[in-house]
Amino acid sequence: MAKTKTLAVLIAFFLAAGAASAAPAGKTASVPAIAGFTADDMPYDAGNALLLRWPDGQYGADTVYRVFLSTAAAGGWVHADEFKAADREAKAIPLPFWAWEPLPGELAVKLEIGALVGELKSGSDVKVKAAAYRNDKLIAESLAVTAQIRGNWFRLDRLNNLILLTVIVIAFFWAVSHAKRKGLFIRRIAGLDAIDEAIGRSTEMGKPIFYVPGIGQMSTISTIASTFILGEVAKKVAAYDSQIKVPHYDPVVMTVAKEVVKQSYLEAGRPDSYREDLNFFVSHDQFSYAASVDGMISREKPAAIFFMGYFMAESLLLAEVGSTTGAIQIAGTDVEHQLPFFFTACDYTLIGEELYAAGAYLSKEPMLVSALKVQDLGKLVVMVSVAVGGVLVAVGAKMNWDNLVQVVLTLFKAY
Amino acid sequence: MTETTWIIAGAWISAGLTIFLFSFLYKDNPFFKMAEHLYLGAGMGWWFQVYLYSIWKPKVFEPLLGGDFFVLIPALLGLSLVTQFIPKISWISRYGFTFMMGYGAGMEIPAKLSTDFMSQIAGTIMPFSLMASMSGFDILNALIVAAGTICVLFYFFFSVEHKGSVKKISNVGIYFLMIYFGAAFGNTVMARFSLLYGRFDDLNTSAAASNFYATQIILAAIAAYFLIHSFMGKKGQAEEAH
Repeated sequence: MAKTKTLAVLIAFFLAAGAASAAPAGKTASVPAIAGFTADDMPYDAGNALLLRWPDGQYGADTVYRVFLSTAAAGGWVHADEFKAADREAKAIPLPFWAWEPLPGELAVKLEIGALVGELKSGSDVKVKAAAYRNDKLIAESLAVTAQIRGNWFRLDRLNNLILLTVIVIAFFWAVSHAKRKGLFIRRIAGLDAIDEAIGRSTEMGKPIFYVPGIGQMSTISTIASTFILGEVAKKVAAYDSQIKVPHYDPVVMTVAKEVVKQSYLEAGRPDSYREDLNFFVSHDQFSYAASVDGMISREKPAAIFFMGYFMAESLLLAEVGSTTGAIQIAGTDVEHQLPFFFTACDYTLIGEELYAAGAYLSKEPMLVSALKVQDLGKLVVMVSVAVGGVLVAVGAKMNWDNLVQVVLTLFKAY
Repeated sequence: MTETTWIIAGAWISAGLTIFLFSFLYKDNPFFKMAEHLYLGAGMGWWFQVYLYSIWKPKVFEPLLGGDFFVLIPALLGLSLVTQFIPKISWISRYGFTFMMGYGAGMEIPAKLSTDFMSQIAGTIMPFSLMASMSGFDILNALIVAAGTICVLFYFFFSVEHKGSVKKISNVGIYFLMIYFGAAFGNTVMARFSLLYGRFDDLNTSAAASNFYATQIILAAIAAYFLIHSFMGKKGQAEEAH
């Protein structure tokens, strides 16, 4: 009997010891547990955050919560966040209304793991717990909860962007089909009419035309637009039997431009006039490129110069020298802060989107015209959205219709 | 050579190249040409070593030596561009170009959609969400921004002919653009002046006695060259006239 009692006491002792060792670090028997504390992978992210949730109002408004996390790599508990209850209401989670439904009276914390313990692999386990303090005294603590972080393939929070993209793609295909069948109208673009004048002048004077495509790479939209314009300019140059020189900053752009110019000479019926050295590489250093092109312009004194593409600080250096030689200068770029320099030193300047439109206007190519039409559709969407959205938000704010204001603002949320 | 000698040589080269490049403001001359070609060569040399040591070595050679053969895929795509120089196999470069265009479009389209559409709209209507607490001036400011956005966009609307009232809206857009361009012009000019001050400061340093008056001597030499060149040019013209 005594043996049985002793055995029972020992078993009870070991069970108690096991339960005590399984309890989270720092937890004391007198502290109650925070009810309803959960941790899950943060939805619609790249897999580096957790979403912690628990009901608010358990311990009063002056409660301060501290969140701790632990990973296998980091070991021990890391102080992850500290906040007052009012600062982490569920509605503050940065997800749109269609991807996140905040429950009233609930606290929610987005815990960025990467910033605290470094990047973890998708599927890694992270242990978290929260502790409530009042006047710096522990009043409650949650059980430690383990959650896995995972990257998500689909970003439901970006659904508005996807819908807009889908509409644009559908509109583009419709526009291409319409442009091929019936053609699409593009208004006249001032400045482009001067291209004929410039090429004619250079033909009469027997001087070359310089076409400077700027310092953009082939992925730059303005450089792509510039190659389309180059194609049309080269076609006219070939037809007039004038000369064109295209100094390049980027070897890839040069390769593309070579093909474009060659094709233009072929289409103009003058393949015999085409030479490989019409396009030539100068330098991949911005200012040595500018210095060299300046030298060429001042020595060869071209009759016309085109600056079309992506330009930075070299814009004025180039345009100013061209201006002193008396050449007709036509410029176009989408770099807004360089446009003023082209205005001051060039005869005609294509502003921003006009550069994109120029290629379509000159070539009447259905694909380009359609792209321009879709851009116009996009501008129309922006104009209408600003007008209607502005009125709705203003009325909503004035009448205290917070839901309306939030819905409108969330619809146009960018990421 | 001692360190002091190097510093003096550096001051002479720095002052010389600065003055040679500035001499283009007067007219083209052999000194400018020399500096121009040196700049071109130095620029190319600089970028060559940057590509070699910042891209090829750490991103291709070292991973390959470490057994990471996946880097061969982008490296071969990049090298395919070089086949443009060999007409018979230049078609291979299309693979590299196609990848670049596809990658570029994939990167750009979502980003542009976000910044050019969503951010633009949200940024313009956001101030109205504070309507309840806005002063009259704040409301006017928000309205000007919204009206300016719409008018400027109208200027870039190519689907309708700009006539009548459409032209008026578009013209208002041009005024907004010009105000922006004026501000951008002033801002950039100020930045350029700071670069000019930097050059002048450098010339001033090189003009010190410790640098053997590098700036003054090079300036005087350039001025003498232009004078002699001008005199000889006039003499040549006079002889031709006779």
